[in-house]
Amino acid sequence: MTTMPEPAGAGPRVPDTSAGFELFGPGTPVRALLTTTWRTRAVLFVLARKDFVARYRRTSLGLLWALALPLVQAVVLAAVFTRVVHVGSAVRHAQGGPGFSYAVFVYAGIVGWSYFSSTMPAASTAVVDNSGLAGKIYFPRLMLPLLAVATGIYPLLISLGLLLGMALLLQHSVGPEFLLVLPATVLTVAVTAGFGVALSALHVYFRDVRFVVQAVMSVLFYATPVIYSLANVPSSVRLLLALGPMAGPVELFRMATVGADSAWPQAVAGGCGWFVVLGAIGVWLHSRFDRVFVDRL
Amino acid sequence: MSEPVVTLCDAGKRYIKYDDPAMVFGALRLLHRGGRSDLWAVRHLDLEVRSGESVGILGRNGAGKSTLLQMLAGVTAPSEGSVRVGGRVSPLISVGVGFHPELSGRENVFVNGTILGMSRQTIERRFDDIVGFAELERFIDTPVKFYSSGMFVRLGFSVAIEADPDILLVDEILAVGDFAFQLKCYERMQAIRARGTTVVVVSHNLGALRTFCDRGIVLDRGRGVFDGKMFDAIGVHHDLMTVREESAADDPTTTAREEGIAEVVDAVLTTVDGQPAAHIRAGDELLLTMDVRALRDIDRPFVGLLLRTTDRDICVYSDSTIAMESPSLHAGQVRTYRARFPVALPTGSYSASMTVHRHVDDYRHALLASSPVVSFYVTGRPLVGGLADLRASFTAGVEV
Repeated sequence: MTTMPEPAGAGPRVPDTSAGFELFGPGTPVRALLTTTWRTRAVLFVLARKDFVARYRRTSLGLLWALALPLVQAVVLAAVFTRVVHVGSAVRHAQGGPGFSYAVFVYAGIVGWSYFSSTMPAASTAVVDNSGLAGKIYFPRLMLPLLAVATGIYPLLISLGLLLGMALLLQHSVGPEFLLVLPATVLTVAVTAGFGVALSALHVYFRDVRFVVQAVMSVLFYATPVIYSLANVPSSVRLLLALGPMAGPVELFRMATVGADSAWPQAVAGGCGWFVVLGAIGVWLHSRFDRVFVDRL
Repeated sequence: MSEPVVTLCDAGKRYIKYDDPAMVFGALRLLHRGGRSDLWAVRHLDLEVRSGESVGILGRNGAGKSTLLQMLAGVTAPSEGSVRVGGRVSPLISVGVGFHPELSGRENVFVNGTILGMSRQTIERRFDDIVGFAELERFIDTPVKFYSSGMFVRLGFSVAIEADPDILLVDEILAVGDFAFQLKCYERMQAIRARGTTVVVVSHNLGALRTFCDRGIVLDRGRGVFDGKMFDAIGVHHDLMTVREESAADDPTTTAREEGIAEVVDAVLTTVDGQPAAHIRAGDELLLTMDVRALRDIDRPFVGLLLRTTDRDICVYSDSTIAMESPSLHAGQVRTYRARFPVALPTGSYSASMTVHRHVDDYRHALLASSPVVSFYVTGRPLVGGLADLRASFTAGVEV
């Protein structure tokens, strides 16, 4: 899947040998895998956009749903935690600050978490789920989990807009630190991609991965400081929770809005660690099994 | 002669089947290699294809055709040997695959084209050609989930052709399009071949293969057994389809089978002028000749002719009792029986066999021996289908 050469006109055809390949033994070298994936990144975004758009086809509200769902979530959060219950007091006490809003605090956690929890399971089964296409045409299979990861970015961007709106509305002040949502988003996507790439390869051989992921997801929700603050947990588990995969992104989103916990450097370092380790394992697995995944689909 | 665009060198593909697919054992499997069996889908295959050739791949189910195509597409790597493809491959993506059902035909052209390596600008420039060739102008903004399978195939073929690949891989697919579209595809494939595009077709539709391809490769149990002219390849393919041990004992009218009374010495299927009968046109006459040796005296034996489609669903039976006086046979005597019959059949693969019977009493008879089953391929008249070619004549009158 390189970019097209123009038709050779009436002259004799010169095969596009750069698009050719030579196969002996299973593996695809890491460098070749990554350069091919990089060359075909355009495909990734075309497909991601189509997948995102297709999701809302044949609904009367169409793309508005992409906005409506996180909006409902944000409004409910805001209403519940500003008017109905006051669970936030422990957190407020820990985080302090006069303009502190627990609703914004939770939503900042949810933005990253909901991207991870909806995208990562899809990415981890992406190679198997696309077996029909994968059996017909070659492209680096690495693209399939990345495609799921990229598709999820659209709703993530919408949630970021809502986070900004909520912060403006409930905290009345949003400083330049809101720009930290950019590194926060990058880290969220990177960690998710690391998981997706590694698990999508494993899932081809161990179909249990799908269910293990579901189980781990429900545990991870509570092991990630989404609805609570790291400041509230006993110091014995604090570091452990800070090193969880999504703690880093969540703390960065908090830093952009309500302020982060003091353990944020560990959390961010942890997130980067997850990305590097899982990404490396994932890329190695894909490079080893890229052209034989299909035998097990 | 140009450089080969496809070279397979002693290529083999092994699949491993595990007896127990459970994961716990899966983990144990990494430690020791028990409980698995190897299946070579393709083995020791050497192949060279040059630009502009059109190659058809034949073989029974499980002969390795799809595995070979997957290796050519680069989708799967060989377990031994090597596969070298010196150009851009574009597979004809089959029905439903690579199409997003909720998206319109227009959007799917972009998705599919992008997957096949076309840039957005290229697709935009060739868009009208793609849609025009597929004859889908009126439906291009309809979600493809409402397309018929024929429309899918037309769109898929159009995009694959316009992707202008060096090597076009076609898997079975053209059988779905209607006859007029098949002709159009044929013309377009001739045109791209003239520009140097290589075409590889896998199909059970021998008629399509003979139309599209000059060169035929026959696979049998993963080995290449023939590589040459398509016409001859079809003959080889038919020989493979002929199962020598197969008997016609399930002949519908036989009540019993009796061994040791007669044996078939030889059987051959020819045209009426004695040519080998691998390719027949509807309306030709065929001659099935069988030599029978009597092992014991047989009182008034008779012979039957059994035709089957290759999937063995439909058979046609006819025997000699009404048509022929049937003198008795003495032990040791050899007699030649001939069955001459017109091929009133539509396009397809058929098999023929002859059987020898004797009357047990007025109502029952017994099967004594049957000839090997011989396969042949009929090129029927266009637009004739079903059980038989009736050669009906039609007239139209003016109503008063």
